[in-house]
Amino acid sequence: MNLVPLVLYAAALVAYAWHFAQRNPVLGRSATTLLVAAALAHTFVIGMQTMEVGHVPVAGATSAISTFVWLLALSYLYVEMTTDERAMGVFILPLLVALQAIPGFRPGIEDRAPVLQGPLFGVHVSSLLFAYASFALACVIGITYVLLFKEIKAKHLGFFYARLPSLQVLDRMNQRAIVIGWIFLTIGIIVGGIWAAQARGGYGAGDPRVQAMSLEDPKIFVALLCWFVYSFELFAARRIGWGGRRAAYLSAVGFVIVLFNFVPITYFFSKSHNF
Amino acid sequence: MQLLLVGISHRTAPVELRERIDFQARGLTDALRALAQRGSAREAVVVSTCNRAELYVACDEATATRQDLVRFVSDFNGVASGELTPHVYDVTDLEVARHLFRVAAGLDSLVMGEPQILGQVKDAHTIASDAHTSGPVLNRLFHSSFAVGKRVRTETGLGSGAVSVSYAAVALARKIFGDLSGRSVAVIGAGEMGKLTALHMKSQAVKHVTIVSRTMAHAARTAEAIGGASAAPWEELDNVLAASDIVITATGAAAPILTSAHIEAVMRPRRNRPLFIIDIAMPRDVEAAAGEIEQVFLYNIDDLQATVRENLARRASEVARAETIVNEEVERFGSWFRSRGAIPTVVALRERFEAIRRAELERLDFKLSSLPPEARARVDEITHLIVEKLLLTPTEQLKALDNSEAVSAYTEAMNRLFALTNQPGDEQAERGRQTKGGRVEPFKRPTGGRR
Repeated sequence: MNLVPLVLYAAALVAYAWHFAQRNPVLGRSATTLLVAAALAHTFVIGMQTMEVGHVPVAGATSAISTFVWLLALSYLYVEMTTDERAMGVFILPLLVALQAIPGFRPGIEDRAPVLQGPLFGVHVSSLLFAYASFALACVIGITYVLLFKEIKAKHLGFFYARLPSLQVLDRMNQRAIVIGWIFLTIGIIVGGIWAAQARGGYGAGDPRVQAMSLEDPKIFVALLCWFVYSFELFAARRIGWGGRRAAYLSAVGFVIVLFNFVPITYFFSKSHNF
Repeated sequence: MQLLLVGISHRTAPVELRERIDFQARGLTDALRALAQRGSAREAVVVSTCNRAELYVACDEATATRQDLVRFVSDFNGVASGELTPHVYDVTDLEVARHLFRVAAGLDSLVMGEPQILGQVKDAHTIASDAHTSGPVLNRLFHSSFAVGKRVRTETGLGSGAVSVSYAAVALARKIFGDLSGRSVAVIGAGEMGKLTALHMKSQAVKHVTIVSRTMAHAARTAEAIGGASAAPWEELDNVLAASDIVITATGAAAPILTSAHIEAVMRPRRNRPLFIIDIAMPRDVEAAAGEIEQVFLYNIDDLQATVRENLARRASEVARAETIVNEEVERFGSWFRSRGAIPTVVALRERFEAIRRAELERLDFKLSSLPPEARARVDEITHLIVEKLLLTPTEQLKALDNSEAVSAYTEAMNRLFALTNQPGDEQAERGRQTKGGRVEPFKRPTGGRR
């Protein structure tokens, strides 16, 4: 059952790539249908896990990845349906497939550590996952911006010129995704800090992981680094005219850090977030 | 029934002749009526654009009709037929379908894949429909051609990419700015080229067009000629540049009027808002190095011409795919067209059966007259249904025949088996069938008796 969403995401990836190459509207609709099916199957899997363990599975690293993929798929579908642009799918789907492979092949029933409780913990995790999904979209939009920008600058109007929306639209979509992501990142970090302070004095007093929750922990440090990168991007785009290509590069850099923080750091380096 | 096409186009006739053969100017409806009155064609559609004048007709005998059509074209347009004949082409039956499908797809156009022609073909058919000169055969033919046009548009790249310099410039501006409606355009230079480009931009519904010229009077005159544009003196150039999104330079200056450093200075107060510069002047008005500046997109006339050439080459490479679609659709139309050969037999068969039914009812009329009207209606209905049921399978089978040998063999057999001698014209029968929903003239039945 865990593999069904993964297989559907992979099928949608093939359809999006094919649609991108051929620009056939029928292929495009089937790609969207496959992705909707994948998201529904994924919703079902997450729902089953929720019923099984009694809470939304976000507390373990693996299940958090699964939930992130689900949120990203839904956010992408929202963007696709509101803008009627399918070209971005071919860039976002590889990420979905690659990340979903982790929970797909390593399902592992989530058992929540007893310290991870309270409403603030839920807010912390879900706002960060949503922020990361927005940043993923911003990154993909930024990459397409740069590809199109280079074609127009080089005066060689070819593959991407025929397939992508205008630079202006891409820039605006990128900015919007960054703003939304930044708001949720800020909420997530602040709420996480409050939760850690409460836990340290109360129910998590004996847990070494709660004690390790400080700026020296790589996970927390890199999260703050992300916050600075995105804050700078927002400031630069508004105040010093760093829109367009520079903003696109920055959103790609920001998301590489997010991804690095999300997968390898959680699994191998962090002492405070390895639940 | 045969299909026939007689016409001239940009491939066969010089523009001087095409100008004189213009059905559009003399009224397509009048032309269709005049054509119908001659009686040589059963159905007719006239496609008339500046690049072609073509008569599509369905007729009984193509050779005679062809001559009459050429005479009609010459009479109607007042062009001597000796002058016309060397430029006229004609094809029959499925080649007519192939020709029309290629026309609708834009494969026969002067500019390969241009989109207007499909609309013109549609209009031509609508006008013929309204004038009642198009019938079942041409309706089917033209509807198939619309489908071909649509398929070629969506399944191939035949119509993609701008193929003129001004459209290439507008397409580029769209790719940079998205919607152009909120954008400001500056035109530097008040010459003829600048004016034409400004007019073209104006037609794209941009927010504002400003003309800048070294001579303020020239700028003002050009702005007035365009209408809705404003003029600015040369001293204002930097402010105009800073406020504009698209800049078109078209001065006659011998040296560049905008250096790279100049544009870099203008970009600073713009906070890196994109600037699209189109340099259509010869020699160049803008230093090539300006194109290196972040968020400056500089295209000169050669660059635009190069993209046009690329687009034309890309269109040419799509021709084979479009031709495949045309072949498929010709095949499909062909099997329908051939199956029509059996229609006279079908009609004769139905009329024969109906005649027998009616004769029997009349023969028994004295016995039935004692029945109440409801019962009489029921008898009529039952006998009608029996005839329909008996004819259902043979009708379907006859209509499914799609090669002419089988059609003639079956026709022969039917004629013998059911003694079908007097076959009516299929045209009339087809009309009859259309208006009465497949039923032949019914037996007089009392109204209100059906349950």
